[in-house]
Amino acid sequence: MDPILLIVVCVLAGGVLASLGVHLLPVGGAPAAMATATGVATGTVMLMLGAAMCGLFTAASVATYTSNILLVSLSGAVGSWLMMGVTMLLANLLYVFGVGVVPVSGRVDVDPITRESQKEYKTPQCDGHGVPNVSYISGMMGALLGGFGGALMYFALLEYANFEPTMAGVAAMGIFVANAIIAAYNIGGTIEGFQDPKFKRLPKALLTCGIISLLSGVLVSVVANMGGLIG
Amino acid sequence: MLFAWMLLIVFLALIACMFEDLESDMGSQSNPNSQVQLAAQVGQVNRFFNKAISGEAPSYALYCTIAGVVAYVLLLREVNPLLAIPIGALAGEAIHVIFSVTAHVGRTAAQKRFEQPIYLDVLYGHLLPIATHGFMATLCITAIAYIQCNLGTLSGMPALNHPFALPLLAFIWGITVGAIGSSTGDIHYGAEREFQDRPFGEGKRVVYHGKITRYADCGVRTQKDIAYFCAKYGGPVTGLTFGVIILFESWRSLVGMMLGGYLPLQEAMASDTLLGTVARVATELLPAIPAAIGDLTAIIGILVGLAIGIVLIVGNVVIVKWARKRYGPFVGE
Repeated sequence: MDPILLIVVCVLAGGVLASLGVHLLPVGGAPAAMATATGVATGTVMLMLGAAMCGLFTAASVATYTSNILLVSLSGAVGSWLMMGVTMLLANLLYVFGVGVVPVSGRVDVDPITRESQKEYKTPQCDGHGVPNVSYISGMMGALLGGFGGALMYFALLEYANFEPTMAGVAAMGIFVANAIIAAYNIGGTIEGFQDPKFKRLPKALLTCGIISLLSGVLVSVVANMGGLIG
Repeated sequence: MLFAWMLLIVFLALIACMFEDLESDMGSQSNPNSQVQLAAQVGQVNRFFNKAISGEAPSYALYCTIAGVVAYVLLLREVNPLLAIPIGALAGEAIHVIFSVTAHVGRTAAQKRFEQPIYLDVLYGHLLPIATHGFMATLCITAIAYIQCNLGTLSGMPALNHPFALPLLAFIWGITVGAIGSSTGDIHYGAEREFQDRPFGEGKRVVYHGKITRYADCGVRTQKDIAYFCAKYGGPVTGLTFGVIILFESWRSLVGMMLGGYLPLQEAMASDTLLGTVARVATELLPAIPAAIGDLTAIIGILVGLAIGIVLIVGNVVIVKWARKRYGPFVGE
């Protein structure tokens, strides 16, 4: 396939996956730090970027000994999945032993995966607290997709646009951040995961991120072409 | 040797993230600081340090990248790493202290209409603890980036050097350490220490917001009372989070490299024996061999990572189940 087309397709797919991943993360923002809302106590972009960067680190290492796009992308995905998994688990340890609350969802009365009731465990005037099982699994899926998207973009920039590894990492991160910020605007602060009603806003974000990623992919192709890296 | 360097990185990661979290408690940065901001607005004049520079992840990315760039430039000029890395971290912390002063003074001055004074002893008294905690975090992250950049050279297998430059690695781990410090460590400060005069065992209700605990065991509470409390649980757990992430990431890569045959191949190619010559010639004549070994290495690493993730999911199910059984339904009003 034509390298320019490959770059555009990979960047487009990576950006859309990043947006989808962000929507799946359980992000509680500042209210979660006071155990007033369900989710991880940080901003959407920061959490996704932290996870994706962790994945990108491993993906870059793996890209030195394999040129299989799927394996590099999956390595990045698993890096993000581990980062999110450990972070959410130890955050729950803090909620349970440091604050003494039961992790519950504020948006659903029954956990859709484990079928555990949520409402009677929730503190009144709070929108849930901690990371319940449904949010945990949603977050793991989000990290997997986001990490895959980030690593896919990195591989395209490295192998098809022939960027130098550090430059490919910086450029992939830049495109990733743009998509994550669009998704964060769409979420508007906090989201619990796929069970949250806000998740239904996803199509708008996917369309916007698709357009932005397409433009980014074209820009990368132009830069690589003008710089004499391809063609 | 490779495992020893990996374990050193894990240890440094643990220290870095613990100090990052304690620094964010010492300076009141990130999410719980929303309550310090709100306190004056609801009539709770306080002696807290109000340092909302930005989210922890971007701010630590900034300090660590500055440290990484300075260290990188010094290393290019052949300065000893034992000197270059601390000098880099010092440069990062100089910027940190400048931001701390401007953020605290600027934000507190903006609260004049709520009669919140700028206590100069609070300002001067917290700068050094902020700088020292931040220095430890930045120093460890820069050291991690340096070791990862030169991991292959240090362990005798040059192919294992990470392809990213030192400043980008410092940036990546700065972002990650900030994201973890913000998402994990903030809970102990925001949900427990900041509202310690409220009942334990419940989420902090919206009506409590802004009404932070202003008095300490003795006298008026400042950030110094908070850091020493969070150092007992929130800080170490946060450090453990980053340490465990790096441990799992490194361990699964190493297991993949060993079982996939990548490490034995690199060891053979680096040796001057007959086996080394055979390995070098074979990889040149038959490039499909190193490619297959590389693919197998990646596959094993991915499978190990997925297995660890599944164990983590089970771990979360166990913790949630335990908490539900132990604490029971909410019984307060």
